[in-house]
Amino acid sequence: MNVVVIGLSHHTSPVELRERFAFAESKIPAALAQLRESGVATEGVILSTCNRVEIYAATALAPAKAFSELKEFLARACGAALAPAPEAIYTLAEPQSLRHLFKVACGLDSMVLGETEILGQLKDAYTVAHSHKHTGARLNKAFQRAFHVAKHVRTHTQIQRGSVSTASVAVELAEKIFSSLADRTVLVMGSGEMSEKVARGLVSRGVKKIVVAGRSLERAELLAEEFGGRAVRFEDWAGEFRNIDIAISSTSAPGYILDRAKLEPLMKLRKHRPLLLIDIAVPRDIDPAVNFLENVYLYNIDDLHAIADDYLKQRKEEIRVCEGIIDEKVNQLRNAERGMRIESTPQGETRHA
Amino acid sequence: MAWFTDRHFFLLAVIAYGLSSTYSVFLWRKGFRKDDRANYFLILTAFGLHTTAMVERGFSISACPVHNLFEATLFIAWTIAAAYLVVGLFHRLRFLGVFASHLLFFMGVFALMPALDPPRAATPDFSGTLISLHAALILLGIGAFGLSAVAALMFLTEEHDLKVHKLRAVFSLLPPIQRLEWVMNRLLVCGVFLFTAGLAISPFLIREKYGVWFKNDPLLDYSIFIWLFYFGLLISRWKFGQSGRRFAWSTAASFFFVMLTFWGFLLLSQVHHP
Repeated sequence: MNVVVIGLSHHTSPVELRERFAFAESKIPAALAQLRESGVATEGVILSTCNRVEIYAATALAPAKAFSELKEFLARACGAALAPAPEAIYTLAEPQSLRHLFKVACGLDSMVLGETEILGQLKDAYTVAHSHKHTGARLNKAFQRAFHVAKHVRTHTQIQRGSVSTASVAVELAEKIFSSLADRTVLVMGSGEMSEKVARGLVSRGVKKIVVAGRSLERAELLAEEFGGRAVRFEDWAGEFRNIDIAISSTSAPGYILDRAKLEPLMKLRKHRPLLLIDIAVPRDIDPAVNFLENVYLYNIDDLHAIADDYLKQRKEEIRVCEGIIDEKVNQLRNAERGMRIESTPQGETRHA
Repeated sequence: MAWFTDRHFFLLAVIAYGLSSTYSVFLWRKGFRKDDRANYFLILTAFGLHTTAMVERGFSISACPVHNLFEATLFIAWTIAAAYLVVGLFHRLRFLGVFASHLLFFMGVFALMPALDPPRAATPDFSGTLISLHAALILLGIGAFGLSAVAALMFLTEEHDLKVHKLRAVFSLLPPIQRLEWVMNRLLVCGVFLFTAGLAISPFLIREKYGVWFKNDPLLDYSIFIWLFYFGLLISRWKFGQSGRRFAWSTAASFFFVMLTFWGFLLLSQVHHP
């Protein structure tokens, strides 16, 4: 029995093509039943996400034969013509199929390298197949091992460490300064997609008090309402500095709206509590010289980008380590299964399920 | 091997702590991205030698080796090393060795200074309830100041990285600076409390020995100065809101000063070396 994979992903095809082959979640059990009834596979799991559609199957057929039948099945099940897609569909037999499964579980095949969402999606796909009894000894073992490898890789490598988006980096910096974000107050100066993302990230980590200062009070009120905060007139932002801990600035002012001379007296009012300033405006809103003030930590858009890029670089450097672990685990799995086959009885019945 | 005494074993342990301390400087410069096993094993090696020294001393006097300042310092350093080795089993906390190694090395050098380990008298230096309590409280107080200084060093490292080496700050395993400042402050309060209690016993000991409540003595004067200094540090924080970098520098520098000078004043003391 060979474990094979057939599918298409963001590496091989655009979204227009992937969406034609996507399986609706509710239709997956029926599709798996059809797959097994067709005799192509004895076990099957269908993974259908926005970035990939894959069928994992345990089959008694020779790989070449299995692939051609699986392609036909895929086209039939999705009602899509295969014609535009032959080069977009990849087919893998053992050991590459197992290796691919492990890589997918670890997020090494994902669009955002090392992301963890795919592991949840893979677990869901496996649970659906398993609960409808479409998996058996081979796929159960392969998937369980894949989940185990993903956990191992996450613990022992840096592949999932850090944030690769600038908004998440800002949140991470806040967590390096403050013991807890729950009782912090955030001031958002100006509105923009990026400042909203940062504010949203901070709210997701527990921030409850948000103050929005905007030139358009209406817009500021809308944003404040979204975060359960309050809006103030833009001219009043300095008055808020006494109570805030984090300020996100993204105004369209032509020059600095906050400089050392303005901030120094405000810091005294704040009794020198730490202040995190995130300046994501271009041109910049905050004079870099304020970073020399004690208890003031200033980051601009370039700092955030540099940190996110470095995280990504670090993740890329970890790929080789992860692949080494995956190769070792694939070999272990195959050796264990080979061992079980040797232990099988002369009648061909295996002792283990 | 009679010539190879417990002091020699301890000297080897201090050399190993010193190697770890030197190696830690490089780890410090790299930031705290990953735990470092090499440093952990260096401290583990030193700990093995340190334990051997204590066991040797214990067997040679057929008692628990906490009779004089040398032995007491050995015991406190051993406790710190043991605590680190347990905490260091968790790989996310193993980086703490970078800070612990410096403290252990300093304590080791301090313990090896002459006159802290005089030839054994018929009665131990710390015999009697009051004198044992006095020594224990003062040493625990200094230990708390030491840990506060370690937290201060961590704070200064993290604070510097957050301002200058921003990438390193994000990748570092160090806790948030606000938490470090909280720990530093609490340890300082704890240290002042213990030191005050230890110092408060002194008049009773002097009266017991000399029949007066106060005797002019270099170590006693020095201890009062240290107490005033640390107390002043806390007042400056509570009253004048001193915080952040300046407070951390003061805490770290104060402990460094104590480590450098305590031994000298102890040598000059008549009360402690009659």
